[in-house]
Amino acid sequence: MEKYDVVIVGGGIAGLSVARELSKYKVSTLVIEKNEGFGKEMTASNMTLVCQGADSLTFRHGTLHAELNIKSIPLWPKYAEELGIPFKKIGGLGLIRDRIDFFRFMKMYSRAFKSSLKGEESYYIPKGSFEPLQFLDKKTLKDLEPYSNPKIQGALYDPNLAVTDPVKLAVALAENAKANGVEFLLKNEVKKIMREDEYFTIMTNETSVKGSFVVNASGINADRLAEMVKARDFSYIPVKGVLTDFDEDTSEVFKHQAFYLPSLGEPHIKAVVPLIYGGLRVGIHLSFTLRSDKEIPLGAVDHNLGVIKSIAPGYPFEKHIKKTFFGIMPLTNAETGWHDFVVDIPPHVPRWINIVLGPAGVSSSPMLGKKVVELLSTSGLEMEPNPRFSSSAKGGVKG
Amino acid sequence: MSTLSRKVDLNMAIKIINAMIIYANDNELLPGSYAVVDEGGHVVAFERRDEAPAATADIAIDKAWTAATMKASGRILEIISKGQGWRLNVKHKGRLTIIPGAVPIIANARVIGGVGHSGGSAEDDLKIAQAGWTAIFREEGFNAEVEERLSLARKIAKEAIEEVNNRKLKPVTVAVVDEWGHPTLIYRVDGAPFGTLELARDKAWTAAAFKTLSENVSSLYSNMINATNWNERLTPIPGGVPFMYNNKFAGAIGIAGNMPEEDKNLAMDVIKKVGLELLG
Ligand SMILES: Cc1cc2nc3c(=O)[nH]c(=O)nc-3n(C[C@H](O)[C@H](O)[C@H](O)COP(=O)(O)OP(=O)(O)OC[C@H]3O[C@@H](n4cnc5c(N)ncnc54)[C@H](O)[C@@H]3O)c2cc1C
Repeated sequence: MEKYDVVIVGGGIAGLSVARELSKYKVSTLVIEKNEGFGKEMTASNMTLVCQGADSLTFRHGTLHAELNIKSIPLWPKYAEELGIPFKKIGGLGLIRDRIDFFRFMKMYSRAFKSSLKGEESYYIPKGSFEPLQFLDKKTLKDLEPYSNPKIQGALYDPNLAVTDPVKLAVALAENAKANGVEFLLKNEVKKIMREDEYFTIMTNETSVKGSFVVNASGINADRLAEMVKARDFSYIPVKGVLTDFDEDTSEVFKHQAFYLPSLGEPHIKAVVPLIYGGLRVGIHLSFTLRSDKEIPLGAVDHNLGVIKSIAPGYPFEKHIKKTFFGIMPLTNAETGWHDFVVDIPPHVPRWINIVLGPAGVSSSPMLGKKVVELLSTSGLEMEPNPRFSSSAKGGVKG
Repeated sequence: MSTLSRKVDLNMAIKIINAMIIYANDNELLPGSYAVVDEGGHVVAFERRDEAPAATADIAIDKAWTAATMKASGRILEIISKGQGWRLNVKHKGRLTIIPGAVPIIANARVIGGVGHSGGSAEDDLKIAQAGWTAIFREEGFNAEVEERLSLARKIAKEAIEEVNNRKLKPVTVAVVDEWGHPTLIYRVDGAPFGTLELARDKAWTAAAFKTLSENVSSLYSNMINATNWNERLTPIPGGVPFMYNNKFAGAIGIAGNMPEEDKNLAMDVIKKVGLELLG
């Protein structure tokens, strides 16, 4: 039976960010993925936004969710360049409809980046590594986005927000990790894991391997995987997020990411994102669900169409719908809405790392790898730098 | 449409409790009390582990009640009441329990019930309660192994429910209490009115408190009891039956939902069927 220092279960953005970061060290690593390619689950069904952080509404102060995302912002341009993936700053617009919106954005504005500039904060980033937020008046907004709803009074502008191609990123991370020595097992679903004193035995539908450390990066399956070794110290609810894509013609209609603040009793997100290869992606109709649920909920398409029409009325979007699809993400603390990432070692199962991302996981990729490497090294994995590491070599994995 | 249930039924409640026990065991947390209530805040299922302090029973139940009737998590209530939530305790006879470990059950964008856990730190209680309500979003079942006393109570309840079906009786609440009258298990069968809840529990309490059939209490102690109305749990009507286990008095069962005599016969038969002996 093959034995590895680290076995990573899951070839989505989480597992591959860790694999690539680990390939900077002399550590034997194996990634096991059940699909034939990489990033085909959550990583393939999201808004594609990265460099999120300025809209501090997304992140609760003091969470790992905030820390990994905000700290990733300055790392993104180089990260994308090294890996050779598309990355485009589009900027985000928090749309202001009325005084209440304005006051809520004021609050966010006063908080955004302010705390991350304080040296003692866990999500400190140096001044100059991001652009400050800015309020735009009605006229400036209209100049930027001529199709925007005239009822909108202005916007809070975040120049940092960018889009990428998350699946390409996943494949690029895998390629680079492979070039630097990481091994891959595709089309292998982990079915059972046994915990011994010194290592774990990981059994897939095809084979068995041993790993001194296991990184559970199995996305929406993370709870079931952790339960195999009594290592689940978190809970989450699967949340289905329905997205609607509009064809390339609509690229002309809106150039920035834009969103309305959520209102009480309205559980859905109202946002539009210009995709990196053209067209608009709109959503997000949200519902708590079973992960086996494969249906598009009633009213979801209408909701998404309503969102884009309220942001840019007067354009016949209904004639430009390309497809509607959904992703299912884990939401922790779902009963309060105070989601946070899980990236930790459960107290009773050493050498096991759980990763649960949920919202904004792609965005956190550059820091996530580093965080896990830090956890591994503090829990006893010897990590000598890999002298042959090349940050942009490609290894030719199938994906 | 998703296949999520719109209300908390007994099966869902039992699944939630099993998920909590497994989570507690896997994470080596202390054994406690586990309560699941419906939208109205009324218990659907309750269990207390053998090593859990007796007082955790009502704390768990009241936490679940608080989450369901306030439609919010204890964690949120704690923050919005700025730690002053205990002041509200003069209301609702002190039931309002603004402490983490009180979690609403949300499905189809509605609060359909509540989960309460008591027995550990506030933080652990919260994690266990979360493990409970999130279990309704799991396709697979959860079957926890439990200790001797609770597993006996489960056997009693299972047998009672089967007998209700066999005899085509109306749905009941089954309560099992320990020798001190503290509940170890309460199951309310789907369709049993919530009024049967306290009735079953109080019949069991009465039988345990006086070590006799609940209906005997009024003749044995009639003068005293009628005169003072001294205990609000006292329920001297048929349906509360004390039992022995390993030749020792071990608690009582209370059943409510039908004519008192039917409840009593059911309780007595169930005790025999699971191999226990009636007390006295
Ligand atoms: C609607 C929606 C919008 C979103 N928008 C954004 C956004 O704009 N920006 C952003 O940063 N994030 C966004 N997210 C979140 C982002 O998509 C996720 O955080 C991220 O993709 C999670 O990556 P992951 O690797 O944890 O999970 P996944 O990508 O799902 O990867 C897990 C992998 O594990 C594999 N696996 C599971 N079980 C096993 C097993 N037993 N054996 C072997 N392999 C297994 C799976 O096949 C899968 O490939 C959004 C999510 C949704 C649903």
